[in-house]
Amino acid sequence: MITLLSHVVSGGLTGFLYALIAMGFVIIYRSSKMFNLAQGEILMIGAFLVWSFAQYFGLPLWLSILLAFAVSFVVGLFIERFIFRPLVGEELFTLFMVTLGLMIFIRGFALVVWGAEVHFFPAVFPMAGVRAGPFMLDRGLVIGAGITIFLAILISWIFNHTRRGLEMTAVAEDHQIALSLGLNVKRSIAVAWGVSGVLSTLAAIIFLSGKGMSILVTDIGLGAVPVAFLAGVESVGGLILAGLLMGISMGLAEYFLDPVFEGGVAAVFPYIVMIVVLLLRPSGLFGWKTIERI
Amino acid sequence: MALPVAKYEDKALIRTRTQWCWFTGLIVLLFVLPLFGGGKVVGIMNIIGVTVIAVVGLQINVGYAGQISMGQSTFMGVGAYSAAALTLHLNLPVWITIPMAGITSAVFGAIFGLAAVRIKGFYLALTTIAAQFVFYFTMLKLPKRWFGRLEGLRIEPASVLGFSFDTDLKMYYMIFIVVIFMCYGAWSLVRSRTGRALVALRDNENAANIIGIDVVYYKFLSFFIGAFYGGVAGALWAFYVRYVHADQFTIWLSIWYLGMLIVGGNASILGAILGTVLIRLLQELMTSLGPLLVEISLVSRIGEQVVFASMNMLLGLIIILFVIFEPRGLVYRLNIIRESYRMWPFRP
Repeated sequence: MITLLSHVVSGGLTGFLYALIAMGFVIIYRSSKMFNLAQGEILMIGAFLVWSFAQYFGLPLWLSILLAFAVSFVVGLFIERFIFRPLVGEELFTLFMVTLGLMIFIRGFALVVWGAEVHFFPAVFPMAGVRAGPFMLDRGLVIGAGITIFLAILISWIFNHTRRGLEMTAVAEDHQIALSLGLNVKRSIAVAWGVSGVLSTLAAIIFLSGKGMSILVTDIGLGAVPVAFLAGVESVGGLILAGLLMGISMGLAEYFLDPVFEGGVAAVFPYIVMIVVLLLRPSGLFGWKTIERI
Repeated sequence: MALPVAKYEDKALIRTRTQWCWFTGLIVLLFVLPLFGGGKVVGIMNIIGVTVIAVVGLQINVGYAGQISMGQSTFMGVGAYSAAALTLHLNLPVWITIPMAGITSAVFGAIFGLAAVRIKGFYLALTTIAAQFVFYFTMLKLPKRWFGRLEGLRIEPASVLGFSFDTDLKMYYMIFIVVIFMCYGAWSLVRSRTGRALVALRDNENAANIIGIDVVYYKFLSFFIGAFYGGVAGALWAFYVRYVHADQFTIWLSIWYLGMLIVGGNASILGAILGTVLIRLLQELMTSLGPLLVEISLVSRIGEQVVFASMNMLLGLIIILFVIFEPRGLVYRLNIIRESYRMWPFRP
């Protein structure tokens, strides 16, 4: 019983991490109607930035994290300026394809700059676990879960209650209409990319603290896709619940199905959950329902 | 007044004598080129041939029908596994296994086509990623007797009536014939009623529905056809490499295939072929440029890695630049050149 519960609890905590990564997708989608498939690559850049500042240049940890936040914000702005701005108002297919090119490009870039070998990410959080009742929990994940919940509520409030956030929402509805209403589409998209870059770096820190990392970190970007889709790509607040649900169901799948299939269920289970949910509710649990025809 | 009825000659794929000359020349060239090229050239051409089939299928699915699919390499994997398993366990001859592999893969693809009925746009593209993970998981979990799990499947060279396709060159002619056959099929398909229905579906689903196109059926069909091409490509891959393993069919392969479509040109069979040839050749260059530079001692061993990685950057950049500056792809440029050649000395 205790093992079952500990699977559920640690699954839930991992789910929050996925929710934080998925937040990067959602913020960009929520303010620009683009699905950035290269989110994992941006997360990898954030991780390598922290590593470079802390280990390679030997700066203090707090400073290198702040610098990494700043640089990843700029990287986000840069990508927006040179790749996505020329494509404002283009159809979904084009926007989707360009993120594929971006994925390949950033991978090559990271290989050139940082190489293919494994680097050790500095331990941002103390390595010792947290004891909660009978469970030992990863301290980084516990802190990460707190940060995720706080950020989700904050960002959700910004989107729904501030002028700037509502402008971003309008841009996500339709580029052309937003433009004709005099909204600054470019600024809205740029801010979203910058913020998404910073969030990815944050997720990288929580995910990698004290672990080894290589270019393969990017895979977690695709791993967060099911959480984003379960919530519906327009909902930031929904991510908390979606992450929790996905994490717990992954924990349960590990507990019950791994013995049957000899391991590896956790990698495929989220996608199956995603397909089933999307078939039942094509816009996710909390996504916008658009009316296509009357 | 009677409406003009299209004559048989007007509907032909190749209409003029000049076109016939070009076509025959190209076929003859492709037929004799491997005889004079070295072993490496034949290898590259084989891979290009297999990739062309997969990308042409993807073109029908993505370019014509507008259903973004990131599962083409998975469909190839299903085809490769079924071809290998049919050969190993049932001893079926190659001219049965290749179509069978295509159909198995098509059925697998059509299941995801059913998802497309409800799921749209980005959601659909990312749902097809799930196909990748499900495929990988399943292949490594099914009984070892069937698909070999981690060891993969090894097969003997294909043989027809005692003639064994055991060298690259012999495989080249097999792939070559299948490529011609599949491309002809694709060209005919997109000019047919079905092809026009797929285009209508892509341009506006609701409008297509209103003019009487069965949206559900055609979405299903587009995945069926795309996956069929993927399956045939996978089967050829299996007979060429003679070893099938789930690791060979990664999501990156699917991403590259989509990249080839962009560079070649959306909604054009010729575009799919051009894009495949160009990107494949660049990829070959990418893997051989580094060692070559080391050999003539221009760069060090570490430099080799950098060369490889920078070629990756370059390829990514090419895809991005094509999306931004020439979304109609190479085939559009080619058409401009062809037109100005035809109209010369007048401006088109």
